Amino acid sequence: MSVMSKLQETLVCLGAGRVTLPYPFKAEPVPPNFRGRPIFDANKCIGCAGCANNCPSREILVYDVCQEVRVLKYVGRRCTYCGRCADVCPEKAITMSHEFETGTNAINDISQKLDIFMSTCQRCGRCFKGAQVLDELKMKGYRFDDLQNDRWVFRSQAYMEGEPVVDDIKIELEG
Amino acid sequence: MDARERLNQLKEKFGPAIVRADMPNDSRLYVYVEPSALKAVCRYVFRDLDARYVISIGADDRPFSGNFLVFHDFAFDKDKILCSIITTAAADNPKVDTISDIIPGANWAEREISDMFGIEAVGHPYPKRLILPDGWPDGLHPLRKDMDWNHVPKDFDENREFKFGETPPGCTVVPFGPFHPTLDEPAHFRLYVEGEVVRGCEYRGFMVHRGIEKLSETVLSYNDIPMMAERICGICGCVHSVAYVQAVENAAAIKAPPRAEYMRTVMLEIERLHSHLLWVGLACHLVGFDTLFMQSWRIREPIMWMAEKITGNRKTYGLCLVGGVRWDITPEIRTELRVLLDKLEAEWIPVVAAVVKDKNIQKRTRDVGVADKQACKEMGLVGPVARAAGADIDCRRDHPYAAYDRVDFDVITHDTADVWGRVVVRAKEVFESIKIVRQCLDKMEPGPLMLDIDGELPVGRLGVSSVEAPRGESHHFVITGENNKPRRWRVRAPTYQNLQGVPGMIKDQMIADMTISLGSIDPCFSCTDRMETIDLKSGETRVWSQDELFKLVRERKA
Amino acid sequence: MDLNFIWLILGGLANVIVILLVAPFFQGVLRKITARIQSRQGPPIWQPYYDTFKLLGKEDIESGVSPKMQRFATYLSLASILTVGCLVPMGFRAPMNGAGDAILLVYLLTLSGICMLLAGLAAGSTYSLVGISREMMAMLTLEPLFAITIVIGALHTQSFRIDTLLSGGIYQTAGLPVSGIIMLGVMLLSFQAFVQRVPFDMSEAETEIMEGPLMEYSGPKLAIFKYAQMAKLVVFSALFIGLFVPWGSGLVFPFGWLLFWVKVFILVLMVTVLAATHARYRIDQAIRYFAALLAVGLVALILASNGL
Repeated sequence: MSVMSKLQETLVCLGAGRVTLPYPFKAEPVPPNFRGRPIFDANKCIGCAGCANNCPSREILVYDVCQEVRVLKYVGRRCTYCGRCADVCPEKAITMSHEFETGTNAINDISQKLDIFMSTCQRCGRCFKGAQVLDELKMKGYRFDDLQNDRWVFRSQAYMEGEPVVDDIKIELEG
Repeated sequence: MDARERLNQLKEKFGPAIVRADMPNDSRLYVYVEPSALKAVCRYVFRDLDARYVISIGADDRPFSGNFLVFHDFAFDKDKILCSIITTAAADNPKVDTISDIIPGANWAEREISDMFGIEAVGHPYPKRLILPDGWPDGLHPLRKDMDWNHVPKDFDENREFKFGETPPGCTVVPFGPFHPTLDEPAHFRLYVEGEVVRGCEYRGFMVHRGIEKLSETVLSYNDIPMMAERICGICGCVHSVAYVQAVENAAAIKAPPRAEYMRTVMLEIERLHSHLLWVGLACHLVGFDTLFMQSWRIREPIMWMAEKITGNRKTYGLCLVGGVRWDITPEIRTELRVLLDKLEAEWIPVVAAVVKDKNIQKRTRDVGVADKQACKEMGLVGPVARAAGADIDCRRDHPYAAYDRVDFDVITHDTADVWGRVVVRAKEVFESIKIVRQCLDKMEPGPLMLDIDGELPVGRLGVSSVEAPRGESHHFVITGENNKPRRWRVRAPTYQNLQGVPGMIKDQMIADMTISLGSIDPCFSCTDRMETIDLKSGETRVWSQDELFKLVRERKA
Repeated sequence: MDLNFIWLILGGLANVIVILLVAPFFQGVLRKITARIQSRQGPPIWQPYYDTFKLLGKEDIESGVSPKMQRFATYLSLASILTVGCLVPMGFRAPMNGAGDAILLVYLLTLSGICMLLAGLAAGSTYSLVGISREMMAMLTLEPLFAITIVIGALHTQSFRIDTLLSGGIYQTAGLPVSGIIMLGVMLLSFQAFVQRVPFDMSEAETEIMEGPLMEYSGPKLAIFKYAQMAKLVVFSALFIGLFVPWGSGLVFPFGWLLFWVKVFILVLMVTVLAATHARYRIDQAIRYFAALLAVGLVALILASNGL
């Protein structure tokens, strides 16, 4: 057995000291642009649903209760904290907080629901156009007569009272 | 030779069999050939032109051109060309000639095409199911456009029995997996052992399919896919997301801004650093040397913290979008990164010196898991496995992407073709990565991070991209499509090829060497298993046995 | 009842209780020092006590081929080690050393090794069978070393009595105790294998054969097996000290007793450092190593029979 190299290895190890961190008994600080749980600010949200369009996990759901009221729900179960919602939001209404200890068995601890009062555009009803082609910010709200083009809106059957207005992707949610 | 000259070579030899050829730029060549000439062309390209086999891909083009497509990708490493030999298969009863008798490394790829599309590879030496479980009903092929992504087959046969092959005489069976302390992901190696010596091996994998490629064609869009791509693997996430966006950019003929390219390079090398340090520790753990395992990981931890500082997460960087990147390196982070690299280098040098001189580790790794240069060519092995055998291949130099054409680095090779060689190659590549990051930090100019993309991306174009993952070449193939999503996306992770080489590596070795041989290819089963199935485990069939594989290699028909 | 007889029993029991109390402590020391070498904090020194209590309280699932044999093997392993403990001096003259001689010692130690084989057979799974085949190969080449030491001691002292042998009997030659020194070297080099730690723990390699013979054990039986292994460390140290470094054991109580435990601590330290700085050997490499040591041992035996 090569004693010298073993000795060298041991010296390397002992020279390093102890590196065990006291987490979770002491909080561990995270860097400034750490991507934790997204927080939605209802005051700033304009209801464009760009976040819903660009969420890779389809965890942000949008439902139009009526012409004036849009409901935006962040479910949070499959959220991967990628931060695309925060990137594309034109009003910077979404911030990636520093919370990462989000384990819970009650979904309501994580879900966020925003009820947004939408005003009506006099010309066409209500619609928004986005900047980047690939970001698909072109979330079509609904015009009274343009429901069929509305294919980028993800809504959940389970969260609706009443019939869905457009065919949607069926997302099963329990509890 | 450039792409045009290669095309001329093919045209000279095969003339009328070549239906069409596309050369979107100097480093890409797409050659459409008649189905009857496919085998001859591939043989010529593989043997006479000495190209490296990369992967075979199937695509369902029936809604657009009326038939299926089969692509065989090759790489001319010295010429920096990625070439694809393409042919069609009829929409009803699709068949193509197999190339697995010429190129043993195409074995899995062709079986995958036949599972996923129903395109039979005529003359395949082992036409058994690779990916679909045995209870899956016949005739239902997941990647066809007429099958929904969330369709659950009703007549799944749960009672189909497990059919193993014959145990060779005098051997006992030692099952290795699907659950074993060394394997992080489920895989099943059925070892036939005589005493302590392994005489044969059967492999069955693909137990954790997630339907990634199907999802990309149906429910996700161009910019959603990088977020999924980086979750293909638990270690090399950045590689897959970069390879995907590069393939799309290649297809759409757009180029990310220079600063974005440097960012991609820096993050790729940071990923390589953390992956290699992880692996060296893991290899020591596999041979029972926990102390060096702890030390490697201790040295590796600051890299994870740095990645978290730059991108917001230790591993899932969320870095790439089509046309650019999302994160930047501020001047403060740049200074910190330089300090980190210096410290890393200073700490890694004595560890490498200690490992290289350590007889104890060498005893467990020398002449273990041998895969020589010929096996590398036949099976298409890539990465440190091939470089340890002396094959001088590295996508960063051979098919430059991102900012690799603007930095200098050496490609580390070794000549022992065993696990020891792979340890040395990976340990030394750490220094090269540090060199590359330093050069990038010096050369990065301020500028935009995202390209302004005006219109929709062109539809129906082919794009390929090869990126050097820590484990080898990760090759992505994209056909751009309508509705802001691709028509087809194929991921070939390096472990897909390297796993095919494992039975050859472990034959006539001891059981104790099985884990370290398997570990030496740095297997990433998650990368390998990214095709669709619904996770229902049921009967498994024998894959191929040791003898058959060797017969394949030795008795290949000229 | 004879008072001597009662003292005998009590003395033996005292040894056993001391071993039971102290074995997890040395295991804890071993884990703590290993952790420090690996730059981490490590578990508290009392962790093995907690672990053992926790295991004792767990559900006992009998899942091997032969549960009766599993039970038998478990209890036998601890019992045989503790019996050796009764016979071995631990800082003072062994209370029961009149009860047996050195041959009994060799047999008891072999018995404790066989318990592992029985355990693996009782489990009956492929991995445990591989583990016990390794264990058998190792035992075949290791146990003779111990036997050779005993025989050399017997040759020099002309007796098989435990108390003569285990107080440096191997050094009692006319001139320079060459064979004794050779055997000291041999046993130092193979001590790690006797106590089954890295680099010689291939019979229970976690990463290769999933804990080998102990695979099918859970709860209380696993606790007893682990306890037996911890006790083995202490008992073997005591044997080693008795055979090769007995000086100072005659000191008045408590100094002789304390000195004994200091020596045990030093041995445990050596085992720890070796375990932390080495990779596991393969069975064929280990066998070659033991065979070389065996050859040296035989040379020592020949020298001893010629008076050296």
